Amino acid sequence: MPRQNETALIIGAGLQGCSIALFLARAGWNVTLLDKNVAGRHASSVNAGGLRTLMRDWREYPLSELAMEHWRHLDRLVGAIAAESCEVRLGVGQIAVALDEAEMSWTLGRVQEMERRGLGTEELLSATEVRKMLPGLTDQALGGLVSRGDGHANPAASTRAFRQAAMAAGAKIVENCRVLGLERLPGGGWSVASSSGRYEVGMLVNCAGAWGAQVAAMAGQTLPLKVVAPSMMVTARAQPFLEPVVIGIDRPLSFKQSAVGSLVIGGGILGKPCADHDTSFTVMDRMPEGAAATLEAFPALAHVPVLRTWTGLEGATPDGIPVIGPGEGTPDLWHVFGFCGHGFQLSPAVGDVVGRSLVSGTVDPLLAPFSGRRFDAGDAA
Amino acid sequence: MSINAPLPDADVIIVGCGPSGMAAAVELAEAGCSVIVLDMQPTPGGQIFRNLEANLCDTSLAGQSLLAALGPAYRAGADLIQRFRACSRIDYRPQTTVWEVRPDGTVGWLQGMNVGYVRGRQVLLAHGAMERPVPFPGWTLPGVMTAGAVQTLLKAGHLKPSGRIVLAGTGPLLLLLANQLHQLGVKPALVGRTDRLSDSVRAMRHLRPGGLVLLVKGLGWLGRLKLAGVKSVTGLENLAADGAQSVESVSFTVGGKRQTLPCDLLIVHDGIVPAIDIPNAAGLRLQWDGPNASWRPATTPDGLGASTLPPEMSAGPCVLRVTGDARKIGGADAAMAHGRVAAQAILAALDHGAGPSAEALRAVDKALSVRPFLDAAFPPGLAQDLPDDDTIVCRCEELTAGDLRAKIRSGFRNMDALRGETRCGMGPCQGRNCMVTAARLLQDETRAAGCLPTFRGRPPIRPIPLGAVARLSGLAPRATIRLTLEDKPENASEDTVDAPAE
Repeated sequence: MPRQNETALIIGAGLQGCSIALFLARAGWNVTLLDKNVAGRHASSVNAGGLRTLMRDWREYPLSELAMEHWRHLDRLVGAIAAESCEVRLGVGQIAVALDEAEMSWTLGRVQEMERRGLGTEELLSATEVRKMLPGLTDQALGGLVSRGDGHANPAASTRAFRQAAMAAGAKIVENCRVLGLERLPGGGWSVASSSGRYEVGMLVNCAGAWGAQVAAMAGQTLPLKVVAPSMMVTARAQPFLEPVVIGIDRPLSFKQSAVGSLVIGGGILGKPCADHDTSFTVMDRMPEGAAATLEAFPALAHVPVLRTWTGLEGATPDGIPVIGPGEGTPDLWHVFGFCGHGFQLSPAVGDVVGRSLVSGTVDPLLAPFSGRRFDAGDAA
Repeated sequence: MSINAPLPDADVIIVGCGPSGMAAAVELAEAGCSVIVLDMQPTPGGQIFRNLEANLCDTSLAGQSLLAALGPAYRAGADLIQRFRACSRIDYRPQTTVWEVRPDGTVGWLQGMNVGYVRGRQVLLAHGAMERPVPFPGWTLPGVMTAGAVQTLLKAGHLKPSGRIVLAGTGPLLLLLANQLHQLGVKPALVGRTDRLSDSVRAMRHLRPGGLVLLVKGLGWLGRLKLAGVKSVTGLENLAADGAQSVESVSFTVGGKRQTLPCDLLIVHDGIVPAIDIPNAAGLRLQWDGPNASWRPATTPDGLGASTLPPEMSAGPCVLRVTGDARKIGGADAAMAHGRVAAQAILAALDHGAGPSAEALRAVDKALSVRPFLDAAFPPGLAQDLPDDDTIVCRCEELTAGDLRAKIRSGFRNMDALRGETRCGMGPCQGRNCMVTAARLLQDETRAAGCLPTFRGRPPIRPIPLGAVARLSGLAPRATIRLTLEDKPENASEDTVDAPAE
């Protein structure tokens, strides 16, 4: 048994950390969050804010659906006023467009696959339907997939809302605090050396995002993680013409029109991460691919000016889904990181399910696909 | 140099074709260097010699009177422009906007719908100055213009303002423009200066022999305006513009008394400051110039900048120099003198010489020796006090000083966090107009010491059409290696339904 029962230290006060803190604190745990910077400084606040079940890896799907349930009733988690500030817009839909035979073929396969697994609410769209839903879409579009319940939210506001709610539930947040070393205590639990002193806790949760593997290494555990810097382009304001979020299948395409009319273009184009300097840079040399993909889908946008670009730091695993679960032989050290650029939507469910698992002492079956064990020798992709 | 690094397109790339850029280009080309000059305008000259070639050729009566009004300082650029045009080694690219500069000498450019990167073994930033942004109540109303904008319309558009005109602010340009307007038959209703007699008295301590000419010139302008019966006040404070759809009146305080004047055009000017958007986005170290309430790039005397980027982002030494008003406000003569110094330093860096000559360095010192006098005589006025809560600071996103103060007080205590939260600086100007006020508000609330922080500048610092981005040329092969997040889910039945992988 952990020496200090029901005390948790969470390393990294991003959205996942704050969400777990919220659920644990509500369950009566004594929770402290440490952040080397300020809460939500990186991927949590600067992602595109997509609330998407569409095209999720099937292993993530149940978690994603649970998360959607939480987003729909966000006021229950963070309070009515904070929930309002998060600008949750569900029901505008997310649509994947198939622009060539290979993408259409993948789309058909996806529908069969999801049906076979009994998952999801993705609907196949014909060429006519997809063009009707997306004015300005190229005549070459062959069809698509839609998740009508999907949408988006404001990531910075959401991170803030979860942070506030966690604090209101009793969690403590220590910012500008760097973890220097982890030491397992003989009877279980951890001693954590940090720039603001030593903490002794029963349960340690590594929510360090792009720095997740570094923190794991402090406990002698090796997990594969690449630090990436997904980047975006933002255009000048255009006449509102697009409500759903549009994503590509093989193309680096992902964009939506913001409330003020500007187009936010992502698609997974990567900038240059400088994790040691706590920052990242956009690389314009890589933007042509994203711009070309956007124009291939929406040819009329050629003259819309790109005003700015941005990027943030994120951790990516080799197989595109996160690590969520206890470390090898350490039921009192959990890893929750490596969301590969699509963890924003999952966060309320991550808090819920991880919290539930820690409180009950058993790993929830929803988390089975995310065990770090899948990267053990022989298994890795 | 690594195998994959693209070859340089020229020995030197110069950004900007004003006095300093042209002087440097000529010096470099005459020494045998290949030079690419990128400039936003259609013809050489920068702001001060804008459209000079065409205006010199205009023999019409209106053309001649415009030339006469613009005066000898305008015509003085003709010789340099001619020498610039005569250099065959200069690859001059007008109407070209620079949207990124990297410490390694890579420069992003846009011309129409064409866009790309060029590379220089050395790069000289000669992009000049901008007028100090002055947020005051009503500054975003149609009918409020800056003195520089009015001059642009005079020089390039041959447009004269009409109606009831008020000029407000400080600095030589304000008085020069008032005189030019008067000479063109436009009589301003008022020249309201924020500077005071006490500033002039204090300035006399800084007067050097070189400044006497300017002093005489300035007194001449004042004398002529007085003779013409143009009303003039000093010590103007609390300027405000009022009107429904456009300016209808201006109000201000002089000597403790509030006054209101009917007005159709309010021309404001609060001095000029180095344009720092390119140096800031290039990651060059900036310094804060307190008395001038502005940033400037931190450079060596010959203009070499210092990169603040982490080593991963800027391999090799920084090859960026800054010259002219972009480095330090000094006017055309100082800009030409420093352009030559920077060119000589670049030649030395390219193994073509011993560095700036003593004579060239002396010329810079001499031209800059009048600055302390001018700085003391015309201290920042309209922008001296921070704006009231109701005044718009970021006009792209329509944010007031009160909006920003509230967010700063609620915990957004660094520039990037403040930008992310409020969208201040995210519009088409990318913070060119609001950044200094946002930084001063932040400093005022946090009492932080040291150089005022800037927004992180990311490319593009000027808008690029999406269609042009799609056709970006001159890419670095290493940088374009396909890098995207690969997170498309695999279908288990993929091998049977999918086309074979490419």
